Amino acid sequence: MGEYSLLIILFAPFLGAIALIFIPRQEELMVRMTAAISAGISLLASFYIFFAYDPAKGGFQFVQRFAWSEELGIAFYVGVDGIGGPLVFASAILLFAGIFVSWHIKDRTKEFYIFLLILAAATIGVFMSLDLFFLYFFYEMSVLPMYLLLGVWGSHTKGYLSMTDPEGLKLRDSVDFIFNFGSNSKEYAAMKLTLFLSAGAVMALMGILLIYHMSGLHTFDILVLREQAKFTDTMSNIIWFLIFIGFASIAPIWPLHSWSPVGHAAAPAATSMLHAGVLMKLGHFSIIRVAFEILPEATHKWMWVAAVLCIGSIIYGGLVSYFAKDTKYVIGYSSSSHMGYIFLGMAALSYISLSGAVIYMFAHALATSMLFAMAGWVYDQTHSRDIPSLGGLSEKMPFIAGAFIVGCMASIGMPGTINFVAEIMIIVGSWEKYPFQVLVAILGIVLTMAYMFKMMRGLFYGKLDPEFAHTSDAKNWIDRMPLILLIACSIILGLFPGHFYDVVSSTVEPMIDRINQVAPLVTQNTQGLLP
Amino acid sequence: MMQFNLSLSAADLILLLPEIFLTIWLCVILALDFSLKRITHQQLGHLSIAGLAITAIMLLVFDQNGTTGALFKDMYVLDHMAIFFKIIIVGATALVLFMSIDYVQEFRFFKGEYYFMVLMSAIGMMFMASSNDLLSVFVTLEFSTFGFYVLVAYLRDDQRSSEAGLKFFILGVFAAGLLAYGISLVYGETGTLVFSEMAGAQGSYGLAIGFILIFAALGFKIGAVPFHAWIPDTYQGAPTPVTAFLSLAPKAAALAILLRMFFVALASFKPMWVLLFVVASIFSMTYGNIVAIAQKNIKRLLAYSGIAQIGNIMIGLAAGTKQGGDAIMFYLLTYMFANLGAFAVVIAVSQVIKSDEIEDYNGLNRRSPFLAAAMLLFLLSLAGVPPLAGFIGKIYLFIAAMNQELYTLLIVGLINIVISMYYYLIVVKKMYINEPTDTSPIPTSLPIKVAVYTGIAGTLLLGIYPGPFIDWAIDATLMFSNIVGPTASLPILPGG
Repeated sequence: MGEYSLLIILFAPFLGAIALIFIPRQEELMVRMTAAISAGISLLASFYIFFAYDPAKGGFQFVQRFAWSEELGIAFYVGVDGIGGPLVFASAILLFAGIFVSWHIKDRTKEFYIFLLILAAATIGVFMSLDLFFLYFFYEMSVLPMYLLLGVWGSHTKGYLSMTDPEGLKLRDSVDFIFNFGSNSKEYAAMKLTLFLSAGAVMALMGILLIYHMSGLHTFDILVLREQAKFTDTMSNIIWFLIFIGFASIAPIWPLHSWSPVGHAAAPAATSMLHAGVLMKLGHFSIIRVAFEILPEATHKWMWVAAVLCIGSIIYGGLVSYFAKDTKYVIGYSSSSHMGYIFLGMAALSYISLSGAVIYMFAHALATSMLFAMAGWVYDQTHSRDIPSLGGLSEKMPFIAGAFIVGCMASIGMPGTINFVAEIMIIVGSWEKYPFQVLVAILGIVLTMAYMFKMMRGLFYGKLDPEFAHTSDAKNWIDRMPLILLIACSIILGLFPGHFYDVVSSTVEPMIDRINQVAPLVTQNTQGLLP
Repeated sequence: MMQFNLSLSAADLILLLPEIFLTIWLCVILALDFSLKRITHQQLGHLSIAGLAITAIMLLVFDQNGTTGALFKDMYVLDHMAIFFKIIIVGATALVLFMSIDYVQEFRFFKGEYYFMVLMSAIGMMFMASSNDLLSVFVTLEFSTFGFYVLVAYLRDDQRSSEAGLKFFILGVFAAGLLAYGISLVYGETGTLVFSEMAGAQGSYGLAIGFILIFAALGFKIGAVPFHAWIPDTYQGAPTPVTAFLSLAPKAAALAILLRMFFVALASFKPMWVLLFVVASIFSMTYGNIVAIAQKNIKRLLAYSGIAQIGNIMIGLAAGTKQGGDAIMFYLLTYMFANLGAFAVVIAVSQVIKSDEIEDYNGLNRRSPFLAAAMLLFLLSLAGVPPLAGFIGKIYLFIAAMNQELYTLLIVGLINIVISMYYYLIVVKKMYINEPTDTSPIPTSLPIKVAVYTGIAGTLLLGIYPGPFIDWAIDATLMFSNIVGPTASLPILPGG
């Protein structure tokens, strides 16, 4: 049973999606229950692997391997290490929560859940693939459902940043004008997202094919490639950049980020949750899995690029969030800004910083999906995401307001949440190598506080517009459960990060050793900083 | 001078059995159509499909038992590759007939003869897959095209259809002229018409020009840039099942000839024709995909996407290895299911809404969730999205090209995936996101459902579990496993 848990996690949502095809569309409750049950099975199994992962043993566990095509050197090969395991867990939590968050979707419920399950299952597939082919397979597979989820069930954004001066004159529609051409339809957002990610994906595919051929091994097996692949210097640099830029565009790193807030803002709540929560982490994860594992020399040589670009992510994302007026847009840009921390943690290449980056991926998934879920709730109730026109909603929805504050606190990195653990690890671990970036990151935290408080005040405090008198709180357990689940995970793991940290560091330490062994530059004296 | 030995033993006749059987079968169908007044054209259609099924079983048995050999001084060969292509042709024909049964209802005349024509073209293409010298290439190519000239112009009261027929005819005859001229040049230079005997030929300008002319003629068949001009108008004007037929079967047959000709007869000139295919592939992919973006008619969109897909297939030819050949054959299988499936949906939709404009696909998901979902799968498979068949096919082709280090081709191919994603998604957007103006449901008749379900099954199966099919393709091209390396050189290529 235990050794098959990865297959259960992966195939439960797929089988759920297949089962949904045969359920008549009028039976909406049955459709929802089927989706919830398949996600629940997946969640239970991922809960198991998260806690059953043995940090003392390290390496890849729960490994399953099936031959798929001998001719092409492809095997269906899954397993998780201390990086994949927590992310699989996070995906399963978000899928389960997302199904309940979108409980009230009326339009084409069946198709919605089919695409949502496929999206989540594909994401989970990436986190457990030990074969480059399947990593790409699931990666590309996760992009397409996004198109339909955004396009069909999404909503038009109401201008990105209507920055108006006190007289009400429009100064400028969008800081992003150059990248966005002022279009705010959901179709545009969906198409932009899909094409952007596909372009990144084919770039990464070129890198993967080069690894396949240039290593001379003609296999996609990551473990074999890790041990045996040798490339010339030029070739490994080329491959590294193809992989890095290809996957960083989904992450998204600063100049390649413009699809992401647009996509977040247009997407329905559950999709934003999965998207910001785990889909964006596919980028970081794939860079770690492919570049860090197979190309340690090039990683050591070039990872400073990420450290430079992350400044742009943190500052730009933070500033735009501060000025944005649309709730989802604020959260979307804040995600994009917080991705900069992960890149910083990855770039510093020390035990603590990389572990911090991995924990941050998990922490951010929980925090940001909470916020998206609640922004979605507010939007469903008020049909508005325009912060200035809202206000005083805490009167009508005290539970949501309370949960929102917790979400904001988690996002800021309040002690007691898992985000705090992660942020402090990134900052401490990167200080030695990138002190300037660390200062930027701290400034970023200040910015995060500023815009989170601003959004909180705008939404929940002040005078209630009589227009919103009919709005209601999340009252029954179906609406409250996903929020409680996310908050509970965030706080429990924040208070007791021990096992989590052990799991992550059991994988990160050998990986960093391999990278730094190639050219030892950074001294490791940050041991023992955490309990 | 060549001596033909036309006395056939029973053992030899076995090799021709599928074609002979199908020929008799189609004569029977024609006779039934003329003699039995009571027989409906639907029954004739079912009979034709039954005949194709029996032929397919025969071919599968041949494949299992290894019944192979050559006839008429190597003019006709039945090897595993020929069987593979014949199965594709027979399968495609059967799918096309499933789509046709309802469509034929709309013809005013010659309902029964339609099946005769389709089967006759199929027989011609089956011979094409087996032809192993230039003479039989010419004869079988003309034979198969003959049926198509009639089929394309079948809606004789429809101006578009007649125009399509005329365009197809003129360019087809032109291609035939090029082919004949090329064959005469090659024969003059080498003194032989059989592919395998040409392998050791010395390079010369005459030979090069001859083969380029032959390539041009076959390029017309497969619709590669710059020989694609007839494709969009013909595809749009022809009756849709004929378009579906035209979009797959002749391409498969012509690819069989291309594989034999370049991988066997011209193996020693590989560096030169690799360049030819790289250029043709790059132009086909880029042109097809970019022009497809602007299309308003679904048949034209599929026509341009077909040009781009042929560009993809030529990646395998450019690789010029056994693996390239395998990749092409696997890709053809995936293309058969996805492309014919897409055409089946087009037929199903157009029968109800009487339009092929993409605009009229608005809200198809609300009107017929089944057709919309099927179309979604087929288009995404054509675009190469996992876990669908087209993705594996593309990766296979890319791996073949990567192993030959054709970087330019790979980069262009990968960029084209993104471009093609755009216009396929435009159709998806119309079907799923836009709201319909008319919300009446679109019913689907049983024969079309069979075609669509077959397409779905194939697209998913080849995508999720391609192993056996890849192995099948590998076994079918064992004859390429010792492709002769470049030994001779043409004077035009400096340094060989």
